Amino acid sequence: GACRVSMSMTEIRAGFTAIKANIQSRDPIRTLSILSHPQSLHKVKSSDRCCITHHLFTFYVDKVFKHCRTEDSFVNRKISSIANSFLSARRKLGQCREQNNCVCGEESTEKFKQILANYEGLNVTSAAMKSLGELDILLDWMEKSR
Amino acid sequence: DALLPAPQSISILSTNMKHFLTWSPVIVQGATVRYSVEFQGEYEREYANGSWIPISECSLTTATVCNVTEDISATVAYRLRVRAELGATRSPWGTMKGFFNRVTTSLTPPLLRVLADGYHLLVELADMGPAFQFRVLYWKKGHESRVQQKVMKEVSSMVHLDTMEAGAEYCVKAQTHVEAINRSSSFSPTQCVRAQRDTSGWWL
Repeated sequence: GACRVSMSMTEIRAGFTAIKANIQSRDPIRTLSILSHPQSLHKVKSSDRCCITHHLFTFYVDKVFKHCRTEDSFVNRKISSIANSFLSARRKLGQCREQNNCVCGEESTEKFKQILANYEGLNVTSAAMKSLGELDILLDWMEKSR
Repeated sequence: DALLPAPQSISILSTNMKHFLTWSPVIVQGATVRYSVEFQGEYEREYANGSWIPISECSLTTATVCNVTEDISATVAYRLRVRAELGATRSPWGTMKGFFNRVTTSLTPPLLRVLADGYHLLVELADMGPAFQFRVLYWKKGHESRVQQKVMKEVSSMVHLDTMEAGAEYCVKAQTHVEAINRSSSFSPTQCVRAQRDTSGWWL
């Protein structure tokens, strides 16, 4: 179902852009993708977007950000900014899902399972850093599918 | 080693999405006391074991104010704390009472300048940062029922609102809107200007 949630994509994008090079330099495994393997997010049907976006926000909040603490105070501050923005957005998305009864289709459920499998296939710190480094894939997909 | 008291009267001044933490100075005769500030968002409380994050620009500062705008960058509840430091001695943390959510920032009306350039009604708005949009209302004086609106997501120097009727007076007012917190300021005072008179006629 449609979920129009106002969230500060600009702020999240700015926060990520500020640390992208630093985060991606910590990801030695370039041949693998967590979000795009085997299929791109762009294959997700529009009716499933609300549900999979909520799943992905939960994935980042529950599994990714907490394992991305670095020795760099600036990077940690930006990760905090992104994490708190995701928390705020996920809350709105959750409310929206309930009101609109956005159910997950079979395809998107499968897609999200694949993302979790890709994540669990690596050790937790590498998986978290790779996922954070792929944040622009998620942001691009969200902006494209507005 | 004398104990250093924690800073007191810790509060946030927040206007137009700019947030400043302030506190009372800790006085030690003949010594320069320094301060360090940390913040904690809802994410840190709920998912990161209540961890605190230092703000490097306000580490070992002698000021009693810290610009926390960059770090209060999500619409969630934040906590903030300060401690005093003198050499190796550190005070306990002084934690601001309650939480701060940027949704409570006070929004002031925008500063604008209205000009009549011949028959053209122009407006110039002061830039207030990327978070701000502007809603400009304009109308011909005496025709208050026919107000027109222009929404500007970004501020460019001068904006053309309308082409005016010769000699007529037009009025303008504006308010800001911040999408991140879904709130608007009150309207600015109304400003009115008069279009140039019709100069096309031949007067004998």
